[in-house]
Amino acid sequence: MTFMHIGKDFTPPDVEGKVTGTARYAEDFRRDGMVFARLLTSPIPSGRVVSIDASEALAMPGVVGIFTADDLPPSAPPANPALAKDFITYVGQPILAVAAESEEIAEAAIERIAIEFERRPFVVDPLDTLVEGGPDPYPMGNTLIREGAAAAAGTTASGTAVGSIKWTRDQIASFRAGRFPTGAPWGEEWAYGDVDANFAQCTTVIEEPFVTIGLPHHSLESRTGMAYWENGKCYFHGSLQSQTVGHAQLARMVDVDPANLVFINENTGGGFGSKIFPYPMMAVTGRFAKALNRPLQLRITRADEFYIGSARSGMQGWIKVGLRDNGRVGAVDIAIIGDAGSGGGASGSSAAEHVSIMYQPEAMRYRGMSLYTNTTPRGAQRGPGQNEMAAVLSPIMDKAGRQAGLDLVELRRINAPGPDALIGPRQGTISSSYYPQAIDQAAELFGWEAKKALPRQISATKVRGIGVGEGYHSAGASGYDGLLRIAPDGKIHLHTGVGNLGTYSYAAVLRAAAETLQCSWENCVIEHGHGENHLPHSTYQGGSNTIFTETRSSHVAALDAIRKMKQIAAADFGGAVDDYSIGGERVFLSSDNSKGYTYAEVAQKAIELGGEYSGQVFAEDLNDTTKRSVQAMQGTGLIAAAKDTLPKTGTTPGFAVAMVEIELDTETGKFDILDYTGIAECGTIIHPKGLRQAMNGGGVWGFGMAAYERHVYDPQNGLPANVGLYQAKPPTYLDVPLHMKSGATDMPDPQSPVGSRGIGEPSQGCAVAALMSAISDALDGHLFNRTPVTADMILNHIAQNDFNTGDLKTNTF
Amino acid sequence: MNPKLTRRRFIKGVIASGAAAASTSLWYSVSGQNRPAGSVERLLSINVNGQVRRVDVSPQETLAHTLRYKLGLTGTKLGCNRGECGSCTVLADDVNIYACSTLTHEVKNKAVLTVEGLRAADGTLHPVQAAFIEELSPQCGFCTSGQIMSAVALLNTNPRPTREEARQALSGNLCRCGAYDHYLNGVMRASGQLS
Amino acid sequence: MSSHDVMPDMGLYQPVTVEDAAGIARQFSTRGWLVGGGQDTYGWLKDRAKRPEVLIDLKGIESMRGIRETADGIEIGALVTLTELTTNSLITGRYSLLAEAAGRVASPQIRNVGTIAGNVAQDVRCWYYRRGLNCYRAGGNLCYADTPEGMNREHALFNASRCVAVTASDTGPALVALEAQMVIHNGSSERVVSAENFFVGPNIDITHTTVLRPGEILTAVRIPAKWANAEFYFEKVADRNVWDFALVSISAAMRVNNGVIEESRLVAGAVEATPRRLDRIEQAIRGKARNQQTADEVAALAIQGARPLNFNHFKMPLLENLVNRAVRGHA
Repeated sequence: MTFMHIGKDFTPPDVEGKVTGTARYAEDFRRDGMVFARLLTSPIPSGRVVSIDASEALAMPGVVGIFTADDLPPSAPPANPALAKDFITYVGQPILAVAAESEEIAEAAIERIAIEFERRPFVVDPLDTLVEGGPDPYPMGNTLIREGAAAAAGTTASGTAVGSIKWTRDQIASFRAGRFPTGAPWGEEWAYGDVDANFAQCTTVIEEPFVTIGLPHHSLESRTGMAYWENGKCYFHGSLQSQTVGHAQLARMVDVDPANLVFINENTGGGFGSKIFPYPMMAVTGRFAKALNRPLQLRITRADEFYIGSARSGMQGWIKVGLRDNGRVGAVDIAIIGDAGSGGGASGSSAAEHVSIMYQPEAMRYRGMSLYTNTTPRGAQRGPGQNEMAAVLSPIMDKAGRQAGLDLVELRRINAPGPDALIGPRQGTISSSYYPQAIDQAAELFGWEAKKALPRQISATKVRGIGVGEGYHSAGASGYDGLLRIAPDGKIHLHTGVGNLGTYSYAAVLRAAAETLQCSWENCVIEHGHGENHLPHSTYQGGSNTIFTETRSSHVAALDAIRKMKQIAAADFGGAVDDYSIGGERVFLSSDNSKGYTYAEVAQKAIELGGEYSGQVFAEDLNDTTKRSVQAMQGTGLIAAAKDTLPKTGTTPGFAVAMVEIELDTETGKFDILDYTGIAECGTIIHPKGLRQAMNGGGVWGFGMAAYERHVYDPQNGLPANVGLYQAKPPTYLDVPLHMKSGATDMPDPQSPVGSRGIGEPSQGCAVAALMSAISDALDGHLFNRTPVTADMILNHIAQNDFNTGDLKTNTF
Repeated sequence: MNPKLTRRRFIKGVIASGAAAASTSLWYSVSGQNRPAGSVERLLSINVNGQVRRVDVSPQETLAHTLRYKLGLTGTKLGCNRGECGSCTVLADDVNIYACSTLTHEVKNKAVLTVEGLRAADGTLHPVQAAFIEELSPQCGFCTSGQIMSAVALLNTNPRPTREEARQALSGNLCRCGAYDHYLNGVMRASGQLS
Repeated sequence: MSSHDVMPDMGLYQPVTVEDAAGIARQFSTRGWLVGGGQDTYGWLKDRAKRPEVLIDLKGIESMRGIRETADGIEIGALVTLTELTTNSLITGRYSLLAEAAGRVASPQIRNVGTIAGNVAQDVRCWYYRRGLNCYRAGGNLCYADTPEGMNREHALFNASRCVAVTASDTGPALVALEAQMVIHNGSSERVVSAENFFVGPNIDITHTTVLRPGEILTAVRIPAKWANAEFYFEKVADRNVWDFALVSISAAMRVNNGVIEESRLVAGAVEATPRRLDRIEQAIRGKARNQQTADEVAALAIQGARPLNFNHFKMPLLENLVNRAVRGHA
């Protein structure tokens, strides 16, 4: 298929502002009379606030107010409160905010506030609370109970509660030692097929424990917010990945009618899953500003961002994998204890789903639970569950493959999910897959066979390792609204309510509308990022979801515009609607193209006609946000607004495969990545430069998870050891390869009008998995059974001092 | 506000926003009352982006703070405010430094250049800016100003760096999105080595 | 690490002579804080973990700048930046060990303002101490790191005395290896201390890392000609290659004649509170060929007496391996 726009590079409108410094983020806005608020955070990991004495602080000149949990609607565990009072559950948890005429005064005031705390027992390793008699992170227990089966992983939706789950000491000891604990209770489980019978048919069966340690998102822009109220309206400058999907939720949080909330967020300095939906602190910013009746900026420091900026869940798990003599995975049994921190949910089921899709086992069983600890709250982080599973699974599958005498790429190829692949406990279908071709493409570009033939020993102290890894995430949804307006000047205003988290997908998806309208990109104007730009209800920007979902909504809006233009033209020039075509930014009679209107003319006609043509009448199935926007624009041009009701069946998959070559120094435990090759299977390439960004950025995230980043907590006092960036260790320029190679299958998904699906999450999963595989390969197939694998662990292994790898401890070095 | 009367409330009193002073005015009157005699003069003339700006700077104030809060130059970002990310990178006498970890009083005799000062007088983008657009180097954009300033510092002294030299020179700029490859492509393009 | 990040209200002095600076430093004593590049200063202040009342900015003191040749070697002004150390031809030509060490500090921007004096005088990086906890080093009476479950991966192998923090300096070990002399001024007189004696461990002074006392200023570092153009080896192993402190570093200077080591200085970083002189290695390799065999024979001596903590066992093979490399002369 030949496209005008799809598959071609373009310059997104926000890039120039990013390179000139004019792009503004929430923290860059000022308003007359604005006060500065700062947080006082908990020094203790567990307990409650007994009393607050703020008299000294309030007496300070320049201090204008203090905002506490008492100023917010009450919340009960496991909901993660913006400000804690009765349930302090981690060090760094915000207790109150102080507003002052300057940041200096606010910070000085914080030091003058005396808080009396009551301490409670605390725990930083899930297995330490799971054991009978072990401390509970909340007074009422240690685990999330989902009362509604639909509650999504990584969120604390309503319908959840805190309950208690305990194992015997023997069961804990067994699990820590890497064995499945008999008779232990679990929080959730699913299975399909006859697991035992399929294991019986397997010729290679291995059992391995694994640990993945959580890590903070540390988005470079912290979640600073600024709010002010004028004439009953709340204007909120925030930092979210999504613009409109959380509108009603944010309105509730700041206590305003959704129609009176103007959310402004043109740029977002990274989110990685932590800013998909409104987060608790936004309630403080909005309500505190209202209480003071002054513009208020609540700046979140880097340390605060560590505390409240979300983090990936950790996993402590056990897996048993069986291969048949033909290399097919016959059965998988997996058990995962997820570290949900002090809030949020763990991602064990999503982790298990990764195994189910990537290896297509004939039968599979998953058992899991989500346990709280007194560590920072967890939430979605780039492929939550799937990517950390990919990381630890890859070397484990390598071990099975080696035992079965299979090449590591061949093992993946044999089990690769093709178009008939099934996924998860219900063994549902997928929309399409060219993943087997992606493996071949990666092997070709990387030169797998040639690299496999290279000597492992490079020099006396340097060894080579090569590895392969796979990433998967569901990559698309449906049911959101598309909205566009053709103005009488001929400009096509493409409205989107997806956020701008930095992938440029907000703009790329709108090119599907331009494609359908066959209009030039230069005549298109993107409307986004500001509530007063009349935005539609668009998808959440996260979970590799935007490209598929929003090309569909863009497309249906364009179809609605075309229908309306043809109707207008047919009414004026005669004939049936179907007798009309579009092209060259005109609608015209197919048999006589002199009969027709330019887009500018048809927009003017739409205004004259009114009704559905210019927004006075609109479809009932539109979301309220979209309806408000249509109403606000009525009479200003041809308004096209439609909900995406295009057919969608099965799961929309995003896949990626990566191959890595490293040179590992056996005397220092350090390694260099000599080659990184990532291939995306995300349907048609919509925006080549954007895709490269996604693949390479995901690659860097993968290297971080594999080798550098993790939570470390002191179990004696609940203190986090790596709050700051220099301690959290996100990869730098010198920790990643000098060049990164990426590509894509570029084959269309039939359920997207332009064939495209998302890739944001698999791009990390494939990289972390490939690097873990390569490290194992360099060390003769040694399994560390955990992420990250740091230099000290490699050194300990080589020195035959298997110091850290002997048990399933988490949040530790 | 929750209306429950039993709850403690700490708002000192509502001030109509129209009546409030600009946020900076009170700053000066409150800050620095206990300073020992003989400390530095607060009123400074600093050269920023080729202009001499007269500004009241407290002794301990960081350059990032002065730029962002006093001079309205918000292109310089605060990613960590402690020299661990590079988002606040600016040039002082052509040397790239962290504005969050520099006192404004330390640069009073230096020429400070921020991302806002890179355009030519006729509005033309600096070659690094143009190249970063062409290569779609930024992702979220939050670290971009700092990346650009380090790239400008490099090209001022080494107009045709190797890719390895470029990454060494930019290595004090963290990119959480992981756009390193793309920034390096931008540097190579800006130096005329990529077409 | 607290949630504070704004600089606290304080005074600032910008003297232009050493005498004035020392006078101000004496006047304020422990309430004053000398600042050069400031890269280890502002974090402490923003965190409110240290609370001096005035900053004494030394950067206006011209006499503390520059690198000059002397009758016996060179003198490096205390304000010379780490970047200057990596580019100055006297350093890169004769004392490349120091240039290499300086080039591995932190990040380019930090090296652009960070000074040699600041790099050697910087405080330890124990995360408990940096968090502002009232540990021994902060004047309290316990150590959080040296406990049954302490998170002490980066901590000391040797000579811990209540405090188990390690030196964070990359240039310190190089200066000890080069037998540098530290010039200290108190406003009226000057004293000169060898680099080896400049650093102090917790057994001598648990709240300081150097011999500098209030009112004293490190004004220059002298490097004798003795080690000019010697054979050097430097390597720093850290988790990340930017913005990271050494897990272990090695600095070595050797005089080799016809392949035989006549004299050497080997100093390890990040294994105890001060740069650790490896004198047993120096003795063992004297008169031996500089090769793999010698390295293999002696490297294990480097970890004799090590007392590892819960999480830092890996530093033993790492130190041994780096010593091996330094002795054999290549990675």
